[in-house]
Order: sequence, then structure tokens, then C-alpha cells
Amino acid sequence: MAARYVSKYVRTPQLLLLQLHRGASTMSMFDIQHKTPTVRKVPNIPKAHYGGRHTVTLLPGAGIGPELMGYVKEVFRYAGVPVDFEHVDIDPMSDNNDDLDYAITTIRRNGVALKGNIETRIMEAGVPSRNVAMRNELDLYINVLHCVSYEGVSSRQKDMDIVIVRQNTEGEYAMLEHESVLGVVESMKVITKSNSERVAKYAFEYARRHGRKKVTTVHKANIMKLSDGLFLETARQMAKNYPEIQHNDMIIDNTCMQLVSNPHQFDIILTTNLYGSIVSNVVCGLLGGAGLLAGKNYGDQYAIFEPGTRNTGSSIAGQNVANPIAMLNAAVDMLRHLGHRQHAHVIQSAINKTINQGVHTRDLGGTATSSEVVETVLKNIKQGVH
Amino acid sequence: MALLARKVCKVLAQAAPKGPVARTFHLGVVYQQDVGVQKESKTKCTLIPGDGVGPELVYSVQEVFKAANVPIEFETFFLSEVNPTLSAPLERVSGSIAKNRVCLKGILATPDHSHTGELQTLNMKLRRSLDLYSNVVHVKSLPGIKSRHQNVDCVIIREQTEGEYSALEHESVKGVVECLKIVTATKSQRIAKFAFDYATRNNRKKVTCVHKANIMKLGDGLFLRSCEEIAKLYPRIQFEKMIVDNCTMQMVSNPRQFDVMVTPNLYGNIVDNLASGLVGGAGVVAGASFSAECVVFEPGARHTYSEAVGKNVANPTAMLLCSVKLLNHVNLRTYAEQIRDAINRVLNDGKVRTKDLGGQSSATDFTKAIIYSLR
Repeated sequence: MAARYVSKYVRTPQLLLLQLHRGASTMSMFDIQHKTPTVRKVPNIPKAHYGGRHTVTLLPGAGIGPELMGYVKEVFRYAGVPVDFEHVDIDPMSDNNDDLDYAITTIRRNGVALKGNIETRIMEAGVPSRNVAMRNELDLYINVLHCVSYEGVSSRQKDMDIVIVRQNTEGEYAMLEHESVLGVVESMKVITKSNSERVAKYAFEYARRHGRKKVTTVHKANIMKLSDGLFLETARQMAKNYPEIQHNDMIIDNTCMQLVSNPHQFDIILTTNLYGSIVSNVVCGLLGGAGLLAGKNYGDQYAIFEPGTRNTGSSIAGQNVANPIAMLNAAVDMLRHLGHRQHAHVIQSAINKTINQGVHTRDLGGTATSSEVVETVLKNIKQGVH
Repeated sequence: MALLARKVCKVLAQAAPKGPVARTFHLGVVYQQDVGVQKESKTKCTLIPGDGVGPELVYSVQEVFKAANVPIEFETFFLSEVNPTLSAPLERVSGSIAKNRVCLKGILATPDHSHTGELQTLNMKLRRSLDLYSNVVHVKSLPGIKSRHQNVDCVIIREQTEGEYSALEHESVKGVVECLKIVTATKSQRIAKFAFDYATRNNRKKVTCVHKANIMKLGDGLFLRSCEEIAKLYPRIQFEKMIVDNCTMQMVSNPRQFDVMVTPNLYGNIVDNLASGLVGGAGVVAGASFSAECVVFEPGARHTYSEAVGKNVANPTAMLLCSVKLLNHVNLRTYAEQIRDAINRVLNDGKVRTKDLGGQSSATDFTKAIIYSLR
């Protein structure tokens, strides 16, 4: 339901037509609207994959985004990665959504995107956050953040290995707010069973596939007994299908405390949208800041890869001090998703080696510039290949 | 002819095909940057010399590659339908292409009547086995070649796994033969999307769908509708449709209006050859066939030129341009640039020209000229 309201903001008439045309044979308009209310129907378009090369949408976004993308391109070119980029810029100041629509269309036809953080400067109620609109429109209902410690980075906690699986399209981000009475604003938090099920299933499947032992559902069901209660109950039901994986739950405030004091008790964290955002940032902070980790957004058809914490870093843009590692890690995740495992492996080990050699940018307490870090990565790629 | 083919085949045979190993990994750029300390790790590429003058053309490419020191290793297979005794088994060839992911191929001759009663030609079987669904022919005027039209630059994209080439023919009643033309929505959308993605990647502005939906309202109608549907996903690329008969007329009278064209199988074949004729003939137009995983680079116009076998007159330009495209595809851009420049220089000078371009030089002279102008 939420998704349907949200979709009103993002106009894609041409795609609707396509959907209707395809759906016509199997489902009537009425069926599409009433039988699949929360799971958006996404048309199955063949992916841009020809002769072993993929085309990927590149959304540099604002702030340090464009320079980081430049580094990714440099590394890809150097390593001979068979990926071509389709570059789409979104004007942060414009108040219409033409650029955003176009970006979403390109992701639909390419299937995969690499993205910086897109700014929405307009504070008007009618213009939704573009990051959120994009996730909703493409039905990217899962955000996965794999948080691993790097040996070479001095951080508060060592040897962490936590996977955060976050519901990415509903909850507090339903963008349904209104002022019923003057001075009283209500914001709706929407939790649906179908979406909770999908994300819980993903978390347990992930655990099974990667040989992980435990899933912790993070919630606040003691206060929001119905909404978070539904999420928790769905996770518990799902856990019954996976007897080999331990399942427990934890309240969000306690989770934050436990994360900073004893993070090693966590394996996979399964959580709703807003809590996921908070928990991700807490963990990133523990590991060494915003510049290291990469996040993955998955839907049934599409995937978007981006740095793990969503900041634009406008204050350090253009100064050659931004940490390129997060975006490079996102690019490596993308390569794995596309099936270019060897390239992913070569670049990944070069990145790890660079970090563990102590070539750090300012945010990690080092003195290297962004381009020095990238040059070291390139050097390590060469050594890794030979 | 068979003797010659056997001889050439022996010359070409370099590497015995090995068992299936992990897929080739192109890391071209890395090697390229310090040629001095380069290690022995060449990009592998399958090579099918083809029939007619194919082996001579391929030999020219190999000479140029040797002279430019291109780090490519060819895995040669002689594949032929007219010489079935010499031909390597199709499975081995397609297995090699699937492993190497790139292939350079001459043209295979297709006899008018089949010896075995099979309706599928070897070319069709190769395409089917690798799902090489999309054929791209880049028709571009070359410098120094006199032709009817100058500055032609269009790309013809052709679906080549279905349509009239379905190989489904039968004689229901004596004297009445039916040939089935198959058009499916999935494959039509796939080729349309390929065309638009190609246009996006190469900064092209317009895609023209060539069809005959006024007569074949259902078959070509489906193709046209699929193209229209996909076009909606590309709001920044102009979409146009044109009936095939009109298209051929426009092509010979005003070819500069075309940018990217997307066509079903048979029309594509005709338009390819027509357009090649406009810019200098079968000897100068390069093409490629794509599947999701592999690319086969082959000359754009399908002509074996078997009457010129052994006369040393065939124009190697098309095959060399194919090899340039191949090098670009496997990230060996500087070599590609080098060879393309050499070709342009030789054609521009106009001193060494093969017969088809109005000159008197032999193919060997042309190849040598290119090698001399490599820098």
C-alpha cells in the first residue's frame, strides 16, 4: 500500500504502459492493483549483457560522488574490467523529477547501478528524497551491509564480522506525513507482512548460504507492539524453517549499547528501515568511519551498489582527501554480482593490501591523498596479476 | 581448392586445443603499460579462417599482429561446410569460442543444396549453439576509397537466430513448399534492446526499425511492436520505423539519414550487403556477432570470393578492421589504435590498393604496406 502511494510521486507513464501491456494477458488492472498491493510488479527486461560485457548505470550523485566515480573508472580501466558505464547526472537543485525518472529507466534496462549519494536539496513536501524514491520505484527491498574489520585500520573494535540486513522500502520511510490539526504532525510507519517476510527470508537464506550461525532481529516491539510486533513475529515464523540457524531478538536501544561494548556477539542483524540506518552507522563508526564499507541494495530484478553510509561528504569535495575505498568496495561487490569473479578478486585483494599497508586518507588518521590511495591500489593490482 | 585449404590450414594450425579450463580473463591494459617486463600471458582467441579467400585474409591479420607484437594467441579451427572432410567438429569449435569468449572468423560458404538433407547450415548451427543472436555491421566510409556516397556512418543490427532462417521448410503437397518464418516477442525485444543499448553506449541518436509489417501484419507486426515497446525505455534516443523496400531505396539515395538500424533476419542480410556495396564492397566492411557471453568478429558482407582463391588479390581491410574491433573488445586499445591508424594511412595515401578499390597491388603488398606504416 505504501509503495503504491509513493509511486504517485515518481511518474513513469511509459513504464506503466509496458507493465499493463505485459500484464494484460495474465492479470486484469484490478488484479494488479488488488492482489499485489505491496510487492510492486516489475517488468522483466533483458539485461544489458553482450559479448561478455555489461553496461551499468553510473549515478555519481553529489559531493565527493563524482571524484570517487572517477577513481572507480580508473581502476576498472586499468584492470580491464568488461563493464561499460552509462553516466546519468541528477541535478540536485531541479524541482522536477525528469532526471530521476531517466535514472530509474536506465537502471531498469541495465539491471545494475553503481551510485553515490544523491542529494535532494528541495525541502518541499511534494518532492520526496530521491534516494528513497529510487529504492521504492525499483522495489529494492533489501539493503545488505557486510561489516568486516580491516587489520590495518586502528579502530575501537577488532575482528568484527557482522552482516546487517535491512528492510529498505517501508517502515518510517513510507513518506506518509500530514498535519491533521495545526501543530500536530503525524508520520505513518508502515510495516507489512509480505515485505517483512521477504526480508526475513533473505536474511535466513543468506545465513544458510554463507554458513553463518545466528540471526538477531532488532526491533522495538515493546513500544510499537503492533508494527514492530508484526516484523518480529514474521521473523520468528521464518526462523522455524531454518532450524540450523539460531534466532534471537534484541531491542534497538540495547542493540546500540551492545554493539559498542561487545559487538562480537552479533552475526547477522535483521532489522526494519530506520533502525537499520542507525545500526549501520554505529557499526561503520566502530570500524573506521564512512569511507570503508559498501552497501548493496537488492530487489527481485535490480541491484544498486553504493557506499555503506549515505553521506555526500560535500564539505571535503574537490580537496583530494575523500576516502575512495568505500566506492571501490561497492564496485567490487557489483563485479561479484555481475559474475566477474576474477576481476573482483584481483581488485579486492589490491584494496585490502593497500589498507593493510597503511596507505590511509585523513579520515583513517593517515596522510595520503585520495589519488595516492588509488595509485597504490593500481600498483597492487599489477602485482596481484603477475 | 581442397588441397590449398589443407595447406593453409597446416600453416595456420598453431595451438592444439586443450581441454576445457576456466574462462579466459582479459586483463589487457595491465600488460600493455609496461611492455618491457611483460610476462607470457596472451589473450586467447579462436580463429576460423573460413572458406574462399578467408585463409588468405586471416594470414594477413596474423602477419600484422606479429609485426605489431600483439599479445594474442590464436586457437585455429578449420570449419567448413563445403569441405566436410577437413572441417573440425562443430562442438569443439563452439566449445573453444565459449571458453575464449572471442573469435575471429572468415566467411563460411553455404551450398545451395544440402548433401545430408539437413536444412540448417553450418553457420546457423554455430550461431544456434552459441546463441549469437545479434549481428552488428558497422558501415562506415573509409578515407581514400571512392564510392557513390561519402561520410556514411551507420550501424545495422540484425537478429540472426530466427525469422526466415528458422530452417523449417516442408513440402505439404507436391509442388507446394512452405517455409516457416518464426518471430517471437522475447527475441524481438532482446534484439531491440541490444540496438538501443548499442546506440546508448556509442552516443548514437537514432534507431530505425526496418520491417514489412504492412504485409506480414502478425509476424513483422510483433517485431515492430516489440521495438516500439523497448523504445519507450529510451526517451533520449529517437525512434523511427521504415518499411524494408523504402529503406533500401533510401539507403542508396540518401544513406546519411541512417544511424542505427534494427532489422529481422533476412532484411538485415539484404541491407547489410547493400550498405557494404555503398562504401566500397565486401572487402572493407567489418562486423561482429554477439551473444550474452561471446563475440565473433567477421566481415560484414557475407561473401567468400572463392573465384579469387590463390590469386592474391583479396582485400584484407575488412578482416583487419574486424581484428581492430577485436582488440578493442579485449582491452588492447593501444594496439587497436596503432593498426587502425596504419590502415587509414595506407588507404589515404592510395599508393597501395587492391583490385576491388581500383588498384593493381596484391594482397601481400597491401599487408606489407600496413606493416610498414605501423608506428
